Amino acid sequence: MNEILSFWAQWLRPSAGLPTVQWSLLLAVAAMAGYLTQRHTGLPKVVGYSLVGTVAGLAGFSGAVWPLQGIGLFLLELGIAIVLFECGGRIPLRWFRHNPMVLVQSITESVLTYFAVYWVLVWLQLPPQAAGPLALVALAASPAVLTRVVADTRAAGPVTERAIVLTTLSTLYALTLGSAKAELINRQSVTVLETVYPVVVVLGVSIVVAAVLALVLRMALRFMSPTSENTSMLFLALVAAGTAVAAHMGGSAPLAALLGGMLLKQLNPRPWAWPRQLGNASSLLTMLMFVLVSTVAAQADWSAPVAGVVLALIAVRLLAKAMGVALGNVGSGASWKQALWVGCAMTPMSSIALLIASQFVLASPSTGHVIAGVALPAILLMEVFGAVIATVAIYRAGESSKPWAPLTRSNNGESPRES
Amino acid sequence: MSLEAFNHSEPLTLGVELELQLVNTNDYDLAPYADDMLRLMKKTPLPGSVVPEMTNSMIEISTDICHSASEVLGQLTPIRDALVKSADKLNIAVVGGGTHPFQQWHERRIYDKPRFQELSQLYGYLSKQFTIFGQHVHIGCPNADAALLMLHRMSRYIPHFIALSASSPYVQGQDTAFDSARLNSVFAFPLSGRAPFALTWEDFTAYFNKMTRTGVVKSMKDFYWDIRPKPEFGTIEIRVFDTPLTIERAAALAGFVQSLGAWFLADQPFMPEEDDYLVYTYNRFQACRFGMDAVYVDPATGDHMPLREHILKTMDKIAGHAAVQGASSAMHMLRTEVEAGQNDALWLRERQREEQLLAEVSRQAAQRFRGTPV
Repeated sequence: MNEILSFWAQWLRPSAGLPTVQWSLLLAVAAMAGYLTQRHTGLPKVVGYSLVGTVAGLAGFSGAVWPLQGIGLFLLELGIAIVLFECGGRIPLRWFRHNPMVLVQSITESVLTYFAVYWVLVWLQLPPQAAGPLALVALAASPAVLTRVVADTRAAGPVTERAIVLTTLSTLYALTLGSAKAELINRQSVTVLETVYPVVVVLGVSIVVAAVLALVLRMALRFMSPTSENTSMLFLALVAAGTAVAAHMGGSAPLAALLGGMLLKQLNPRPWAWPRQLGNASSLLTMLMFVLVSTVAAQADWSAPVAGVVLALIAVRLLAKAMGVALGNVGSGASWKQALWVGCAMTPMSSIALLIASQFVLASPSTGHVIAGVALPAILLMEVFGAVIATVAIYRAGESSKPWAPLTRSNNGESPRES
Repeated sequence: MSLEAFNHSEPLTLGVELELQLVNTNDYDLAPYADDMLRLMKKTPLPGSVVPEMTNSMIEISTDICHSASEVLGQLTPIRDALVKSADKLNIAVVGGGTHPFQQWHERRIYDKPRFQELSQLYGYLSKQFTIFGQHVHIGCPNADAALLMLHRMSRYIPHFIALSASSPYVQGQDTAFDSARLNSVFAFPLSGRAPFALTWEDFTAYFNKMTRTGVVKSMKDFYWDIRPKPEFGTIEIRVFDTPLTIERAAALAGFVQSLGAWFLADQPFMPEEDDYLVYTYNRFQACRFGMDAVYVDPATGDHMPLREHILKTMDKIAGHAAVQGASSAMHMLRTEVEAGQNDALWLRERQREEQLLAEVSRQAAQRFRGTPV
């Protein structure tokens, strides 16, 4: 026996290690769960991914550490950056010139969400130092969840497009203010200049990285076909480099990607055919992102008082987003019914909220602990239920090209294939 | 249902309908914004009307009754400007052209209107493949019999209309090698193609009654002919034009039809015959396939000649009538392009050769529709 083992030992080589095996298996299970969820319930695959992550987190899976750091943080930021770059590219600045009410709608829903969540949390006797950051976390809707829902339902139309744009803009505000607020969280009293300074730094660094990213891609697109696989690889490589540089220099990597997308759209108004080529690499990264978020978020300490605060935060946020979208809807070219569905489609919370919460925890472990206690369960719930609400909103708005799978099966026995 | 009486209309008056594409500004695929466009367009007082079409990424605009090509353009211009303004507000674009170059028919959604839902039930996938975009030109006729005479005379010029308006070379992302692939989609429908050879309203009514007795048709709307009488308007409706990429070309094509009609009424240049239709389908195919480079077989003489040459000869014949109708500048515009062998299909192919990206071709076509030089 010993001879056999010693013979075998010479074939063993150092590998990526046990965590890699754990993560690979977890992702394999998530992929299957996502498929089965969509096939048997008609819900988007992201629900299946999140449920697997939740079970892993609740079971004490040790592969994801909180607060986020190292390779886990980088992968999360990279996943978000790819999604946000693409979402930023869906926002042509000229649209705001033709329809400034969309910008008003965005600002209204964000301001209302921030203050509504802040006041309710203070009313529920949370310290203002925690209520403020939590309101910023609540501000961030999730373009990542929404775009996956849109892909799974094959949706297109005014509600879908506006929800993506408003979600992306809310992310822009949340990332800028959240990153700046994390800088200030430990200071007792600050002057106006001290408040503005971190915002300028975060925005400034992010804009510089965004500009470099946009310019290089603009240059590349002059001679590279947007439908080429190599253009997609170039894009992935540049976003990865931008993510590492922005975070290192004090900016926000996702913010840089989002601004980069907006800038590139401005510099290059040609159609964005190339994100379609990103294909499975991007899908795998976003799946990893959802599993990571739910795994981490499930590690929160649950208790009855916390549950009450979390549910209040979710309810107020949902109401504030719907009301904000409705208030700003006048003259924006959308109907009231569409405004309602846009508000509902904006409810998912996921990776960006987690990233902002993580920044607060790293900046101030004491206050961060309170923030994480509320934020993590809220993120977990709204990654799953937000995806479900967004799916229902898209179907109710009549913007899905794909019938709800279980309904189709019961009607004609047809078994829909996965997209 | 019996055939309604042929109403009176002023001879040679014009009405133009244009089916248009609504596309998003991200990847320039078709976008389901018909309802939103209709809602916004209601706020602007305009001539004509704006109505939905079969799928919810399409919209149809039409003029009121016009007396000349320049009046058509005069009405289409404010409608186009209002469309562009509404589209800008919704962050979409409006595009001409007979087909969307790369849309996938199965992704289309039927517009929620009883007639479209009924057609969808009847025709299945054909109704979604009917996401094609045409220009219809109505021309006023003195009376019902004159309308049928005008219809069958116009039939000889169907290839001319097709070649001049062709703007649908790409379907589902592929170059079809046709200049107008749109008409191949229309051919899939029963009761498409040519109208029956009836030169009196009495004969036509008898045909209509026989058809309704079979239960195959209920009204004139069920006929998808290339040209059909429109008794409620007192017109004939020519339906073979692809939607051009610009409203200027749409108005010029209406001017061409009007000038031909004026020639027919004033000179009675020839009598149509059933035998004209012996070469009808061949000529139609040639024009769809080769556009300006098609061969035209003269139905009367059997002579073969380049279609381009026959168009120019026809233009010479009707030049005087065109001048009377105020269509000289429209004819000049068309003539210049015919002489250069140009049409919108060629423009689209040139753009694609340059850009190698059909979405970019659509973006540039949208710029052209809004009047911005590309």
